[in-house]
Amino acid sequence: MSERLATVRRVTKRWGQAAIRGTGDAGTGRDGTGADAAGRAADRRTHAERRESRVAAGLSELERWLADQVGHGIAQARQTGPSDWDDLARRLVDAQAPGVAGTVTRLSRVLGAEDWPGLLLGEYALLHLLAVAHRRSAALPEPLRQTVRARVGFPVTRESVLATPAVRDHWHVVGDRDEEQERLVARRVWLAGRTTGRRAMVLSFSPAGQPAEPFPPPGATIDADLAFYPGASPLRALVAGQRGPVDAGPPPGTAVSEAPALIAEVLAADPWTDSWPLVLAGAVPGMDGVADGEGNALPLHPAAGVPWRLLAVSGGRPVTVAAEWTPRGLLPLTVWDERGGAVRL
Amino acid sequence: MSGPWEELVSTALVGAGRRAVPPEILLERAAEQVVRMRAGRRTGRAGLPAVAPEETLPPVPAAAAERLARMLAGQQSRLLTEWLETAAARRVRVPAALVPGLLDLGARDRSIRAHLGAVTGARGRWLAGLNPRWAYLLAEPAHVPPDQVWELGTSGDRRAFLTALRRADPAAARELLERGWDAETPEDRAAFVAILADGLGMADEPFLEAVLDDRRREVRQAAADLLTRLPGSRLALRMTARARRSVTGHGGRLRAEPPAACDTAMERDGVRARPPAGMETRGWWLQQVVAHTPLSFWPDHLAMRPDEIVRARIGAWEREVRMGWTRAAILQRDPTWARALFEIEPLTDLLTVLPPGERSRRAAELVAGHPVDGQMVMMLGGVPRPWGRRLAVAVLERIAETFRTQPWNAGELTRLAGERFDPAMHEHAGKVPELAETLRFRFDMLKELQ
Repeated sequence: MSERLATVRRVTKRWGQAAIRGTGDAGTGRDGTGADAAGRAADRRTHAERRESRVAAGLSELERWLADQVGHGIAQARQTGPSDWDDLARRLVDAQAPGVAGTVTRLSRVLGAEDWPGLLLGEYALLHLLAVAHRRSAALPEPLRQTVRARVGFPVTRESVLATPAVRDHWHVVGDRDEEQERLVARRVWLAGRTTGRRAMVLSFSPAGQPAEPFPPPGATIDADLAFYPGASPLRALVAGQRGPVDAGPPPGTAVSEAPALIAEVLAADPWTDSWPLVLAGAVPGMDGVADGEGNALPLHPAAGVPWRLLAVSGGRPVTVAAEWTPRGLLPLTVWDERGGAVRL
Repeated sequence: MSGPWEELVSTALVGAGRRAVPPEILLERAAEQVVRMRAGRRTGRAGLPAVAPEETLPPVPAAAAERLARMLAGQQSRLLTEWLETAAARRVRVPAALVPGLLDLGARDRSIRAHLGAVTGARGRWLAGLNPRWAYLLAEPAHVPPDQVWELGTSGDRRAFLTALRRADPAAARELLERGWDAETPEDRAAFVAILADGLGMADEPFLEAVLDDRRREVRQAAADLLTRLPGSRLALRMTARARRSVTGHGGRLRAEPPAACDTAMERDGVRARPPAGMETRGWWLQQVVAHTPLSFWPDHLAMRPDEIVRARIGAWEREVRMGWTRAAILQRDPTWARALFEIEPLTDLLTVLPPGERSRRAAELVAGHPVDGQMVMMLGGVPRPWGRRLAVAVLERIAETFRTQPWNAGELTRLAGERFDPAMHEHAGKVPELAETLRFRFDMLKELQ
């Protein structure tokens, strides 16, 4: 165990420096000093105003486009959708709304499913809701307004996030996943706070083909301060400071039967949430779901397949398992075996 | 309409315009519904698998498990078979998380299945029961307690059980087999007969002679192969009579005359009537008769020593008769004949019959005088691990030399050497870093598994 701890400590140290130094996040602000600072501030203001009006124009075009789609019917979406969405996404990028553009780009994922009309209508409806919410954002409570702006794609500087009060805890690393998108590898690391019970997700990018920034692996626990991006249901965070690894064993989890209420609460605050880390304790994995002792089950995502590794580790017995909740089902991340060792799934 | 959501979807499909619904209203209702459905989803019911039985074997040491995970991810994956074989012999099991990866490998590669039966433990069999792709595992021995194995075990368990019983008490093993013979599957019958090779004696002859009437050719063939090792068996006497007519000697020269026909009696004795593609039919019968005749027959019959016999000119059918002797030397595991035949034509299959020291020496001699090419790699591929010191030194020299003169030709032999050398040689392989690295890997790997 001590050897493992030493490795974790080494990795954590390297990673900690990198996290503080910062990775290529959009819109890293650089404050000028001295005589021309005032001039630059003025430039930034006009720049920001221009952006606001372009985003507003882009989103009202999106509103019209969505109304047009459902007005004429979405039956042909399988044929015409992908090229329409590419065009629309390009226009939204030009309108400086990259968050919405990304959502539009991902629409083609629903076409593989049998119930694609329902899934597509759901996505269109949530896009509509986002555009309307942005139009009326002045009337929204501040945290929800921040959520809307983040989902639309307004950048938030690292400095402004790091300036907020950090949350110190022993953070369990409960899962990670790399996803390649346009020559970049996006790494998501999900964390669970031991005493606060909070959940967090640290996102970092590295060029494809190059080793990603090291981060402690699932199963590790770090004593760290996390600064959360603003929002109504904050999840994304930065590591503001960390004091190294601690030996903590599996994270505390919730019962399967408590998970729906937990998700309902998250969605009530941020209806666009499509990913949330769950840590389930006393969970028995099956071929297509994760159940509690009474057989109440949460389904797995249809694309997840049979979770053979998870089944192998559990052997039909209750285990602690971390999974990413998505509207279509769970995507297993990590399981802790009977000796408390974490196994990536 | 089955519900508000389904109605919204159907309206969206045909177009809100057609149903006189303002599109914005449709989108707003849909947004409300979709969030309501996501937030309001309750748990469903799931069918859960039965709880896996407790493990009976201890887990592998942590370092060995970590190395196995790296090997499954691609590092030195050619050495996986040796890892599995060693772990199976040590009677330890792999961590549950690695079982699916191993079972996937076994689905593609039959050669490792027997080891998987042992090292994947109770969890492996439990998973094999859930995934049809892995069901093959249930036929492999699993090291389960022996009390009821013969009645209830997997066919792999029963083969392992019979093998052990045969070693301890040959007669008891044969009698056990005879009692339930008719109820066994053809695959099991063939495998069980082969197990009788250990401790084979004339006491087995009546049973094996009866098996020659089995419905399945594989089973008959297995029995015939064993009976040729018993010079006093009825099959050996019948074959000897055929051989006496087929090959005759006249003052140092031999003459061969193939059988005129393959009658049912010959077929019953394991001679196959149809030749493989490209082979002359009567020559094929002749080769099989020679292959199934006890080698002890020839010196008396021809009044020559084995080394003289294999060198003698035969004229027509020479190739078929020599192939027959070669096959006989391997089947009957006769080192004298194997040695004599190897002098004429160095086939690696013959080396397997020789004692390990001699095998290593002869292979070493061959390596020293042979160019490094595909044929040599194939020849050496037939020499099982671990290679003796003499062979290893000879191969190491050739590899070092080839790296100097034709480096592009050294790769395959280097990889083979890495798998077959005694890993303790790693300290002497410094001249070839790639080889030294593989040997060092195996050295550590075997140490971890001890």
